Amino acid sequence: MNSLLMIILILLGGAILAYLAKRITPVLSGIVSFLAILSATLVFFFLLDDQAIVKINVGNFILQWGVNDYSWVFGAMVMVMASFASFFSIAYMHGKDRLGYFYLNFTLSIMAMMGILFSLDWISFFIFWEIMTWSSFLIIIYNGISEGKIGIKYMIFSAIGGYSMLLALVVTNSQIHSFMISDLINSFAGFSASYQALLALLFLIAFGVKSAVMPLHVWAPRAYADSPMSYTSVFSGLLSKMGVFGLGLMLLSVFSKSTNSTIFVYSEVLAWLGAITGVIATFYAVIQTDAKRLLAYSSVAQLGYIVVGLAIGTKLSVMAAIFMAIMHAIFKGNLFMVVGAVEKQTGTTDMNKLGALIRKMPFTFFSALLSIIALAGIPPLGGFIGKWMLYESLITSDHYFLIILTFLSSTAAFLYSYRFLFGLFLGQEEKEFENVKEAPFTMVLPMVIAALALLVFGIFPGLLFEPIANAMTQLGMGDVSWNMTMLSNGWGDHVDTLSVINSIAVVFILAFIFLGLKNRKKTRYVTTKDVHTSGEIPTENENLTYAVDFYKPFERAIEPVMRRKMDFYYNKFGEGLETFFDFLRRVYTGNGQTYAFYVIAFLVILIIFSKQIFL
Amino acid sequence: MDTSIWISILGFLATVVLAFTVGVFYGGIVRKITARVQNRVGPPFYQNFFDIFKLYSKETAVNHGWMQHLGPALAITASVTSLMFIPILNGQGWPWFENLNFKGDLIFLLYMMVFGSLGMALGAGQTGNPNSAIGVSRGLSQMVGYEIPWVLALVALMLQTHSTSITGIMEYQTTNNTWMMFESPLAFIAGLLAMLGMFHYAPFDVAFAPSELSSGPASEFGGKYLGLMMTSGSIFAFVKLTLFVDIFMGGASNLIMLVVKTFLLYMVPVLYGIVSPRYRTEQSIRYFWGWPTAIGVLGVLYVVFIR
Repeated sequence: MNSLLMIILILLGGAILAYLAKRITPVLSGIVSFLAILSATLVFFFLLDDQAIVKINVGNFILQWGVNDYSWVFGAMVMVMASFASFFSIAYMHGKDRLGYFYLNFTLSIMAMMGILFSLDWISFFIFWEIMTWSSFLIIIYNGISEGKIGIKYMIFSAIGGYSMLLALVVTNSQIHSFMISDLINSFAGFSASYQALLALLFLIAFGVKSAVMPLHVWAPRAYADSPMSYTSVFSGLLSKMGVFGLGLMLLSVFSKSTNSTIFVYSEVLAWLGAITGVIATFYAVIQTDAKRLLAYSSVAQLGYIVVGLAIGTKLSVMAAIFMAIMHAIFKGNLFMVVGAVEKQTGTTDMNKLGALIRKMPFTFFSALLSIIALAGIPPLGGFIGKWMLYESLITSDHYFLIILTFLSSTAAFLYSYRFLFGLFLGQEEKEFENVKEAPFTMVLPMVIAALALLVFGIFPGLLFEPIANAMTQLGMGDVSWNMTMLSNGWGDHVDTLSVINSIAVVFILAFIFLGLKNRKKTRYVTTKDVHTSGEIPTENENLTYAVDFYKPFERAIEPVMRRKMDFYYNKFGEGLETFFDFLRRVYTGNGQTYAFYVIAFLVILIIFSKQIFL
Repeated sequence: MDTSIWISILGFLATVVLAFTVGVFYGGIVRKITARVQNRVGPPFYQNFFDIFKLYSKETAVNHGWMQHLGPALAITASVTSLMFIPILNGQGWPWFENLNFKGDLIFLLYMMVFGSLGMALGAGQTGNPNSAIGVSRGLSQMVGYEIPWVLALVALMLQTHSTSITGIMEYQTTNNTWMMFESPLAFIAGLLAMLGMFHYAPFDVAFAPSELSSGPASEFGGKYLGLMMTSGSIFAFVKLTLFVDIFMGGASNLIMLVVKTFLLYMVPVLYGIVSPRYRTEQSIRYFWGWPTAIGVLGVLYVVFIR
């Protein structure tokens, strides 16, 4: 059987079996789901046949599925991180209720993502896109946190995106009478200017909603924060990348062929929107007190960088964008798993309450540390590689003010990165968390492996450069050169990652040996209660710590920027619509006699003016 | 082993020793100058050597956990690694100082310099001292402030010299026989104002604020840890000064000129700081986003449209 069909059927079957397995015992649900995703991953990596195409006849349409270099990159990312997340989820969701419902939707989301990546025609793309939307909606409302507001908001924005896509592909079909994606790529340049502008706008809205680009991002922060954490690592790590997948396809294959200047304007506007998303979302992340919301806003910001890279469109920037997308899936997935582990062990994720978990959960801290270092973009981990390429591409392509915005948000990212680590793991010990234990082994294992992967990709970025270069060639960007350990930009400047890691490793090991050996017997450990308090001795119940309003001075400094949230404008628009509807109620009164009067009045007008109308 | 490996190891050691010596001397000289301005006698100019030596010869050391134990190691890793990537001497100086100059560029260096502060911040975090946490939050917030004019100045330079590596910028200065200070004066002024923030002298020393937060982030470090941090801080001061001299003042062709140029440059934040009070954190952020950013933007526009 064709491997693509096998993958989709394994995942679909796994979803249904997971739902049914709950009758036997709830934990079996998780295990069935994990096994389904794992077997699909194994089929994807070992049995995939990239020449085969699946054709399914449904009524008047032919659904075609196939895989190419571009979808392979995203597919690999989805399968690997989904396996990690589902393995983590077995222990994380242990003891919660309605697990059959949860794992059904979890596995269906993964199936829908693989379906999107495999689609060669727009009908199957749309079908899988919608399956992804409603399965993720069902999980957002799983926890029951204000599902009326958050779920509905998500549904509205996803519906806007979905209907834009539907309109776009119906318009396309009316022009070229085909639903194949490759046909759209080839014939886009031949459309008239107004059709090109319309299609571009519709597709950008559709994919922009999923990639949380301003102003379509308002559903993202609460949706990411209120879902169960094992799903959020899939939600923010992988589902958002489906929007990136679509944006890349549109911007690089379809729009680049057109010579219309309006399309070029769209790309520039999209790049600026991405950069502004990065800045504003980062500022919001800095002022959060809940670790989940902080990570959610941070996801929106990182997606902004990726959109900037795609919109600029040079080889280096697209390589940077796809590299950053993969890195983001790994480290953000990892960070949400860390928060899930902390939540399971302590029962809360409020950074004002937690602290000093480093000695109690050392492996969780290690994964969190590496992931945060990658998020901040600090060498020698993988996040630096993506950021370096993005900055270089912005400089070499003359987008000098975008680089200021990107740098501003990148520096502000250090703030919330430190807050995350400090609020959860460092700081003063709290009495109520004295007996917290490390998370179970099945939760720690995927986190640590993902963290080590970040280190490997930072030293040997060429491991990812090769598939990304193939993907870019598939998108039509021509030959892309790459090197296993050397990053270079177009001007001849480069960074040699091996020298970097050698230098860091040598000096660190020397310093570590020095610190370890000097006065080994006289170096002692003291608890956090034994600190320098300038001569004042706190009493037994006074726990001196700094957590609340951690960045109050920064908040005061950026206060003018943060006065209005995007929600305010949407609410105002909604209220305006309601005023208009109130006015309409004077016409559509709901009263049968008024309608009867309208009908008779209309007939009278027809009779009086029949000569002019029916000439 | 062949001689090139020996030469590179010797070069590494020579560079570190040079940076350490010069950095520690500057620290001591600054203390003397500060004292004289304030009408005191002050410690001798070699005092910082004695301080570091005393710290290393302490018998006991206290730490609050392995993250604090590793914090100074991360700080010195960042300082020494940044040192490796900065050209010490211009042109064909001594081959000993080449190190890793051609293996990294300016943007890499910007991030490497943050690595050290992150290491120290994480170490300070584990101690549980609230003063350390307050100091770190203020220091990071200030960093968002001064990075903007600094990046604007660097972008102006990179656009003008069409290169993002320090060696490329130095080559441009040699071939055109000028200093970037005169080629992009607006970028130089923006960079100089940002540098005031980078050195954390008054009026931007709210992160340490000795009379308010007992030493800020470094409150709980003592003994060998504090010795390593002082070493790292001295090397890092030399790194920042040499970077600035290299990209704005044409580098130095021998060690004497290097010392003269870096010292003259160092006097700017020091002398300005001696007579200044302290800005609050939000005041310093707002200051950096005001005139220095405006000058930086003008500098970039100048490079793009006039050159």
